[in-house]
Amino acid sequence: MPEITYLEAITSALRDAMRDDRSVFMIGEDIGHFGGPFGVTKGLIDEFGPERIIDTPIAEEGFVGACMGAAWMGERPIAELQFADFIACCFDAIVTVGAKTHWRSGIKLPMVLRAPYGGGVRGGPFHASSPEGWFVGVAGLKVVAPATVEDAYGLLRSAIDDDDPVLFFEHKGLYRRLKGEAPATGTRTPIGKSIVRRAGSDVTVVTYGSGVDLALRTATAIEGAASVEVIDLRTIWPLDLEPVLESLGKTSRLLVLQEAARSTGAGNLVLSRVAREGFELLDAPPALHAPIDTPVPFAPELEDGYLPSLDSLTRALRDLLDY
Amino acid sequence: MPEPFVTIPCLDVHGVTRETRLALFRLVLLQRIAEERVMTLYRQGRIPGSVYTGRGQEAVAAAGGLALDPTDVIAPLNREMAAHFARGVTVGDVFRNYLGKADSPTRGRDGNMHFGMASKDVFPLVSMLGDLCPLIVGAALAFKRRGEARVALTFWGDGAFSVGDVHEGLNLAGVLHVPAVFVIQRNGYAYSTPTTRQMLNTSITERVRGGWSLPCEEVDGTDAIATYVAIRAAVERARNGEGPQAIEAVSMRMEGHAAHDAGNYMDQDEKRRYETERDPVERLAARLLLDGFSAAEVDSHRQAASDEVAAGLAEAELSPAPDPASLADGVYAQPL
Repeated sequence: MPEITYLEAITSALRDAMRDDRSVFMIGEDIGHFGGPFGVTKGLIDEFGPERIIDTPIAEEGFVGACMGAAWMGERPIAELQFADFIACCFDAIVTVGAKTHWRSGIKLPMVLRAPYGGGVRGGPFHASSPEGWFVGVAGLKVVAPATVEDAYGLLRSAIDDDDPVLFFEHKGLYRRLKGEAPATGTRTPIGKSIVRRAGSDVTVVTYGSGVDLALRTATAIEGAASVEVIDLRTIWPLDLEPVLESLGKTSRLLVLQEAARSTGAGNLVLSRVAREGFELLDAPPALHAPIDTPVPFAPELEDGYLPSLDSLTRALRDLLDY
Repeated sequence: MPEPFVTIPCLDVHGVTRETRLALFRLVLLQRIAEERVMTLYRQGRIPGSVYTGRGQEAVAAAGGLALDPTDVIAPLNREMAAHFARGVTVGDVFRNYLGKADSPTRGRDGNMHFGMASKDVFPLVSMLGDLCPLIVGAALAFKRRGEARVALTFWGDGAFSVGDVHEGLNLAGVLHVPAVFVIQRNGYAYSTPTTRQMLNTSITERVRGGWSLPCEEVDGTDAIATYVAIRAAVERARNGEGPQAIEAVSMRMEGHAAHDAGNYMDQDEKRRYETERDPVERLAARLLLDGFSAAEVDSHRQAASDEVAAGLAEAELSPAPDPASLADGVYAQPL
């Protein structure tokens, strides 16, 4: 099989879903001929036309709200945010309309909101955030964050199939850096299932999105010194904790890794649930490796120090193992 | 001595049949009588939370609901109970929701007119006013994409007209050229704030035409027949591919914002005059008398509506209270 990038996997999933189902369409800013700020939708308008690749004015509240109405009418819209940071603009439509409608009326709102998130691209405070944590705990929403090429394709296909609103956090830093075998057409990654990416016996790293690649590289780098198990949450809300508890039964040490600032993200829910449900499995206080509570900085010297790195994760793991 | 106020009959618009006039009359009566009953129940402590009525605005609600074809869809707000009835929602459904019953449209999860019914193509109200504007644009976009001759309609007030979602929704409706109809109820107040303190230009029609370049027509929202004709024409224009349409229905909210608000900030003389001259229910009754219906016939329609409300309430009271154990059902359409 040929190798493709994480970005190409997302484009393929969009193309295949639109080929399979007339009710799937895309809406967002500059997604037509321009192909979106990262080129994810490049070429799709040639195949599907402007009726299915719909360019909008700058109006996140407007087009995300419109997705809810189209979904009510049985369509399966996919909205693209240019940057996940702009999810703040349509927060109300997501948490008020998207999350609560089925519970109070039985009306299904199947829609996907694609949110390119994350740092390492010198985006600064408005173009590099990891705001996924704002939606962790919101009943009615599903939040996914693919970490591999296969999941970028498979989770997106599952999100488009899903009858609930799904927030799809795709990491900008992985777009072109991550390469892998092209997933078979139609591959689905189940929503709500975390997975062990690497088996180990000394410590469990629980992470998602860009954290998985970092954890795997770090685990390889220190494999002579420690055996690291890496769990990829894949779906960060609702949380699938079973594989985490199972892993802790083996390793007794937990490190949660995330790119979101330390008091947000999905990590704190993992920690609180492990404290309640897995306390007796632990031999050391669980660790959280995440940036400090500031917006994402711009200058390379600042951003590189802010984001978790192979060095900083290695130190954090060593501290945990030394406890 | 000032001249006594007299009810002004609805306009006699040619082409509006007797059947339509009577259908409008039933709808405004049902909303008026059901809301009066709701207020009594609230004062008796039998309705939890608060209560928001559309007294003075029933004609717009009735006309908006009746102007649609059965395949069209609608997203009403709190003051549009009659629009629900026009879509086939029953008085029993309304009371079950107010009373928080297990088999209410929201299964007790929300009260008031905060409900929709998938089976009637009625989207549930969202209290974050303005949210339903882009939502209805999306429903209309679905119709346009599929080439269906259907229309999506929503309401909001002069209050919600200041919300950003409304701007984004109207703008999007225009550039996407979708069959959406927006009925804007200028009832004079956003809670306690008069329209004059919400916007420099209080003509919503001028603003919609000038700001978003969408067709908009101002209509007397206390005249059920004139409002029906205006909304119906807008609906047909939208259906015929002429793009989004707006109607500014001018009325007066004849009560406070909600049951807990006496509305003391309202101009009481103006309110009294409105209550006599422009009560939407009495304006339509006066028109029916001029149309040749006898007083006894008009009264029989009042009685029929009153009976329908009483029967709906009686039916709703028999429903059980919701079971707390059922609360997590339906959080997800597709549970994990």
